[in-house]
Amino acid sequence: MLANFQDQFLSLTFGGLSLGFIYVLIALGYTMVYGVLRMINFANSEVFMYGTFATVVIIRDLFGFTQQSEPATGFRLFYILLICLAGSMFLSGVLSIFLELVAYRRLRNRGSNKLAPLISAIGMSIVLAEFMRILTDSRYVGSPRVMEKSSIATIFGANLRLDNVIVIVCGLVLYLVLQQFVKKTRLGKAIRAVSMNEDSAKLMGVNLNFVVSGTFLVGGLMTGAAGFFYTLKYENTSFSIGFELGIAAFTAAILGGIGNIKGAFYGGISLGLVETYASFFLGTQWKAVTVFLILVVVLYFRPNGVFGEAITQTRA
Amino acid sequence: MLGEGLIFNLLKISLGRYPSSLPVPGGHDHERRVIMKNQRSISVVAAIALAAGTAVAIAPASNAAAKVVTIAYQGPLTGEEAQVGIDELNGVKYAVQLFNAKNKGKYQVKIVEVDDQGSGTEAAKVAPGTASNKKIIGLVGPAYSGATINSLPFYKQTGLPMVSPSATRVSITDPTQGLIGFPVFHRVVATDLVQGPALYKLATKGVSSPKVFVIDDQSPYGVGLVDYMKRGGAVLAGQDSVSDKTTDWTATISKVTAAGANVVIFTGYYAQAASLYRQLRDSGYKGVLAGGDGVLSPGILTLASASILEGVRLTAGTVPLTEISASLEADFKKKVGVASGTYAAESIDAANIFLSCIGKGVSTRPNMLKCVKAYKGKSITGTTIAFDKNGDVAGGPMNSFEIKGGAIKFTGAVK
Amino acid sequence: MFNLRDFGASIWERSDRKMRVLIALSAIAVAAMLPFLGGTFLNTPVADYGSVLVFPVAIFAIMALGLNIVIGKSGLLDLGYVAFFAIGAYTMGLLGTKTSLNTWEILPIGIAMAMFAGLILGVPALRLRGDYLAIITLGFGEIVRITALNLNAIGGANGIIGIPTPPTIFGLEYTFDNHRLYFWTFLIIILLTIWMIRRLSVRRGGRAWESIRQDEDAAELMGVPTFKYKIWAFVLGASVGGAAGVLYASKTLFISPDNFTLQVSILILACVIFGGMGNIWGVILGAVILGYLPDRIRFLSDARLLVFGIVLVLMMNLRPDGILPRKKREKALPAKDSK
Repeated sequence: MLANFQDQFLSLTFGGLSLGFIYVLIALGYTMVYGVLRMINFANSEVFMYGTFATVVIIRDLFGFTQQSEPATGFRLFYILLICLAGSMFLSGVLSIFLELVAYRRLRNRGSNKLAPLISAIGMSIVLAEFMRILTDSRYVGSPRVMEKSSIATIFGANLRLDNVIVIVCGLVLYLVLQQFVKKTRLGKAIRAVSMNEDSAKLMGVNLNFVVSGTFLVGGLMTGAAGFFYTLKYENTSFSIGFELGIAAFTAAILGGIGNIKGAFYGGISLGLVETYASFFLGTQWKAVTVFLILVVVLYFRPNGVFGEAITQTRA
Repeated sequence: MLGEGLIFNLLKISLGRYPSSLPVPGGHDHERRVIMKNQRSISVVAAIALAAGTAVAIAPASNAAAKVVTIAYQGPLTGEEAQVGIDELNGVKYAVQLFNAKNKGKYQVKIVEVDDQGSGTEAAKVAPGTASNKKIIGLVGPAYSGATINSLPFYKQTGLPMVSPSATRVSITDPTQGLIGFPVFHRVVATDLVQGPALYKLATKGVSSPKVFVIDDQSPYGVGLVDYMKRGGAVLAGQDSVSDKTTDWTATISKVTAAGANVVIFTGYYAQAASLYRQLRDSGYKGVLAGGDGVLSPGILTLASASILEGVRLTAGTVPLTEISASLEADFKKKVGVASGTYAAESIDAANIFLSCIGKGVSTRPNMLKCVKAYKGKSITGTTIAFDKNGDVAGGPMNSFEIKGGAIKFTGAVK
Repeated sequence: MFNLRDFGASIWERSDRKMRVLIALSAIAVAAMLPFLGGTFLNTPVADYGSVLVFPVAIFAIMALGLNIVIGKSGLLDLGYVAFFAIGAYTMGLLGTKTSLNTWEILPIGIAMAMFAGLILGVPALRLRGDYLAIITLGFGEIVRITALNLNAIGGANGIIGIPTPPTIFGLEYTFDNHRLYFWTFLIIILLTIWMIRRLSVRRGGRAWESIRQDEDAAELMGVPTFKYKIWAFVLGASVGGAAGVLYASKTLFISPDNFTLQVSILILACVIFGGMGNIWGVILGAVILGYLPDRIRFLSDARLLVFGIVLVLMMNLRPDGILPRKKREKALPAKDSK
């Protein structure tokens, strides 16, 4: 077993890492909202699901790809991928803002209890998933292949594939951009201010509604990017994929310390890797059990996640 | 209805669009296909005419208004599993439309749609209601075995005859396990007991020194197939069991590679099969790919490219409509509005059994049960359908298929 | 705005003992009459009205009452409540098919098993707060389901078939389709649960939970052994979930891991909050509505769950504290800064 693991180690690592980056981006969606509002945006998983569909529609209907067409290459590929990424991010971002307006704003302004928005979010999540189910006749929708999936390099027998590289590199870039955005820009600073103390931020002239919408937008953009990477990597989607991935990404966010951007990053990557390694060793059927047991152990020693809750600090 | 708004339909058109031009079969074996197809078309027409036409012969001509008869379909119509149910319901609708058109003025068959979301809990709620609705004299379904087991007590008690297109669990008709389906339960689908060993046989056919790796989707269907495969004497080089929501197969693929397998069998449904096959091929796997009747759906062709699916071997007790004849599929699409899906042929067969009985003037449950038990007729694929005393289709052969050039092709019975 | 909860409470408080007994009895009588109203507008299309009353309505009500102890009384967010339900159901399934024990003998065993599971989960989990607790409990629910799915010794994916119905008592025969008898039995269980919760909440335990919910740190400083009372709430909640599981298995005759998904936990949580967290009557009302609604609106066919979701969103926005919220004085301060 161990010898096999050594042989397969790099393949598992590449796969786990790129899955991890998808988790990271969805987890950022949860974490941004949580950091500001202290609320689980349960419907974020469906925002992600819509993001995956945006890419499918663009590839299939805008560029006219079918399952039988030749994959794009070179500059054309670059430009198609860019439009897909932008499309997914745009749709998810808009949907996320809409979600906040419909499901949360009224509750937030009334200062309701903490759980009412959670149920409202669960309701929205059912609405969004069922809406897509009706649209797609309950079917899985396949995405035609836009890029060749051959390996670009072989390292110790493991194939390094271009799609995995794109997911990992772009995921890292998006994460770094988000971090700079929160640190440097006006909106980012406002988000941090509200996250630290809502009332003082308001007193300092921060427009709360604007900042909250901004937070949902940023979270939605990240989640939408995850949707794009998902479609690129797995090439099919359905109305029901949100739930499973949403729970996994949420777990990742908790692992790192929800509300903390760095936490979402390391949480997502560790979860992707741990899941993949554990599936190899212990059997895929025990994957979720392993993940949750690890989570129990981690939280036992660090009850606020590895990196704590503050949105940009390393330790709480 | 919500689905009729403009924007809705726009979206629907763009999202629900299937390669309506499923690749036209071509290549060197084109001629053989055409011949086979023609033979099949004839048997199809015969089968449908048989179901619809008997009424013409027997029922006396009269001016009386059409007699309204109700049958039900039970399966998942909303929620995560909805696709299987909707595909089956479409099959039932298609058969009923044909029948009603043939028997205009004599019979008017209505379908009650019973949504059990594929879950036992839901089934236990809807089954008593369906059982006590005396208008319903026959039930196509339930689609899933779990839902079937939860529903059975109610249907047995009220004597509602059932013909399931897809509940494959062996125990339902197994006399050694209490025969829980007797006498009302019948199915037109082969059980795991038959399919498991057949699938193994087909997958390893012509492979010298096969090293077989099986992957199940943790559903009772998938686990059952593997179970009966092993009991049938299968030798496995490795095995994995994954959740039916899995999208990332990295770990499983590493296990396949580590086991040095050259045959991979997946027992689950087609959407996951497509993603597994694709990721396996992308990882450089060169061996045989195989799957059971859950994978045999035209839908798989929309989820992966022809080059990836090339050579995939499948088993099923039946044949997909597209493969029976292109004109049948075209007619199906015209009448129902969407392409046919998983278990379409089985659903049409199941409905036809009831319809032929209705055509003979059957209008009560006890008579329907007798009629179904005694039924002997042609399936839409041309094979003979008759039930043994436990409710299983007697002696149907297991068919094999291969995906070639982006189309599912019938390759004869598994021998 | 008209407050139904206060209106009800004021009638109750103005009445003397005799009047209260009368009100309680007539409420019970109305509930007991429910199975006879199948012919009215209450009837459910497709699904059988009588069986909808048993499951999901009555079972949801029992589970919601149990979850309410955990979440409504002591403010602990539990997303894995289905685990206790599953443990109860599997205890019934295994003992019912493998031994000669009957439902009523298995009931205490099932409750004990669920309580034990509550204890095992509670000790590590209850050190955590808020959403961390939520994810750990969620994980626990999944662990229980996946374990049941992977262990062939307890049926694996195929589940357990042929679970016996309860034995005949007082000449009343529990056949699988005698929905009314099941409903009345479950009604009695609901009443017992309500009685237990009411007894407990007016005592020391109830006050301790209340203080934990309002402000855990303050409670700790005031000398309330918060950890002990949190475990206590958790275990009690688990016991009710376990009881519901035993009864459910004994009614449905066949269980499999599919019946115990995370969605069930979420739905029960929705019942509690939708109805009015912390208020027994609200919680029951929530369970009745959310259990019953999806079957009442079956005529919408395809759009059924979509409408269900819209109802959840709308109701939470219009009545964030639920349909029948808890009494004013029990409301916590807005929980915005409870970090």
